[in-house]
Amino acid sequence: MKLIKKQIPFAIVFVFGMLTLVSYYVPHPRSVAFLDTVSQWENIVSSFAFLLGLFSLFYTHYAKIKRKGDGWGYSLFVFVGFLAVVVPAVISHGRQMSGADMTPLGWSFRYIYNTLLATMFAVLAFYIVSTAYRSFRIKSMQAMVLFVAALILILGRVPIGEILWSKVLGWTGHSLSGLMNWIVDVPSVAGKRGIMIGIAVGAVVTSLKIVFGIERQYLGKD
Amino acid sequence: MKNNRLVCALFAFLLAAAPVLAARPAGHAKPVSKPAAKASPAPRTVGLTAEDMPYDVGGALLLRWPVNPADDSGTSYRVYVSSRGKGGWLQGAEFPASANKGTDIDLPFWAWDGSASEHALRLDLNGLFGDASPGTVYRVKVSVLQNGTEVSESEVKTARAYGNWFRLDRLNNLVMLIIIVIVFFVAVSHAKRKGLFIRRIAGLDAIDEAIGRATEMGKPIYYVPGIGDMTLVSTIASTFILGEVSKKVAQYDSFIKVPHYDPIVMTVCKEVVKQSYLEAGRPDSYRDDINQFISQDQFSYAASIDGMITREKPAACFFMGYFMAESLLLSEVGAASGAIQIAGTDIEYQLPFFFTSCDYTLIGEELYAAGAYLSKEPMLLSALKVQDFGKLVVMLGVSIGLALVLLGQWQHWHSLVNFVTDIFKAN
Repeated sequence: MKLIKKQIPFAIVFVFGMLTLVSYYVPHPRSVAFLDTVSQWENIVSSFAFLLGLFSLFYTHYAKIKRKGDGWGYSLFVFVGFLAVVVPAVISHGRQMSGADMTPLGWSFRYIYNTLLATMFAVLAFYIVSTAYRSFRIKSMQAMVLFVAALILILGRVPIGEILWSKVLGWTGHSLSGLMNWIVDVPSVAGKRGIMIGIAVGAVVTSLKIVFGIERQYLGKD
Repeated sequence: MKNNRLVCALFAFLLAAAPVLAARPAGHAKPVSKPAAKASPAPRTVGLTAEDMPYDVGGALLLRWPVNPADDSGTSYRVYVSSRGKGGWLQGAEFPASANKGTDIDLPFWAWDGSASEHALRLDLNGLFGDASPGTVYRVKVSVLQNGTEVSESEVKTARAYGNWFRLDRLNNLVMLIIIVIVFFVAVSHAKRKGLFIRRIAGLDAIDEAIGRATEMGKPIYYVPGIGDMTLVSTIASTFILGEVSKKVAQYDSFIKVPHYDPIVMTVCKEVVKQSYLEAGRPDSYRDDINQFISQDQFSYAASIDGMITREKPAACFFMGYFMAESLLLSEVGAASGAIQIAGTDIEYQLPFFFTSCDYTLIGEELYAAGAYLSKEPMLLSALKVQDFGKLVVMLGVSIGLALVLLGQWQHWHSLVNFVTDIFKAN
């Protein structure tokens, strides 16, 4: 049992981890072909796993409807939404356009799916305002720095900011857009790079932990 | 001490061996400059050599010929290539005589010895012939143009492009990797012998508080692993954290929900959560619907989770893994519902959104460290020391490299500047 649950999966992880690592330093066509093959395997596994996900989704919502759990009415929309796309797709043979005409599938995509996506994305604007309001409450020195930097960036993006700047601080010889660009290009990039270096080192170490079998939690216990 | 010496010796050996490894294949002697007749109207020839472009997959040729001192602003070169035995010439490139010098080839000093006294051109065959089949013999020639008129042509050279077995230009990367692997094993063996001090991470210490709060309130905990797949380190790190969080949830007899974007991640997380419930001695509390698939569409996924958070008002929300635009959509709804929120991602431009809307945020590498930190296993904790060592190396590298480049620029030591930038370059 240990062989099947632990040793064979670990051997697969080690071999494929090392081969993938080595292929970074080997530009030979065989190395490229290996990476392509692994990528294809991944796609095949993903396709089958999607069926598993779909089954899980239907099972969860079916169980909720069956036991009349809280908000079970929303679960009905999972099936309604599924049918609203799958039935037109079958009728339209998977095509969104038939010549110059829109098929039922194309109609459902344009007027249901895309509209809902655009709505969700548009909601982001309101969330940005509410989160900005929360973060601009000055409670500490760091919050003060954040507020000042954000204020400069906000004012730098609108004409009135430049007008105000030239009237009040024009004598300094610097422009608001110049200051805004400096904040974006220097301290902001420096901070980002610091985070990125930490992430890169962390990713290397995490990969080594997995490839060399130090971290085996994903394999479960013996 | 012994290891340090070993690492230094290895690095010195690799650098010393580099010029030998980088040597051009036999039979391709470095072109020798010929004295050119000054401003001679007579047809000029070029000492052309053609060979496989080193360190690539095999789709390019490297052409070199000496710079002619008589070339002026009106001189240009046109390169022809053919895959046939006779005729079939295609124009591969055309450029002025001042361009494509040996120093323009973007390879580090240990892999390339080009000079400004020669022309060097990487001729991409895939762009000309589609997928260039390996082993095909190509014929190349170079024409010299004076004010747009061909005045001479080089002799025809043949060469084959083939796949190489080693990216010598990535030697610096390999050396760095070897050093990190050595330090990794030293740290692991050290961890077996005695304990390691690990600094506290506030976001992870707050996990107990969040789960305790959920238990007291009798409300669920949401753990969102993001929209990444299992090939991403952040998603893998998220599954490690989920293991520790769900173990605590099982111990406290609280309830956790894990909505998924990727079915493979869901399958892995099912095993992880089931294992955690077993380890906590509460296998009876495990339910299959703890992990549920939502959607493989980013905004559908976010909308669905937003709906669940709004209706169920969870006591705690964890957002750990790979997030894009949905980061704020999720965390802002969680904040509005009054949940204690802990987030972690390695996508640096999503971090500000989590900072502003969550109580605690794990920044990049802290996400990777979280699983080890929570499990407190010495072997896993030792990896955190390696992360710190890596950062130390980067800090020293940046400081020393910066000082050397500044010195080189100040004193006009261009070879020093090139040396330092090549050493730290990611090829």
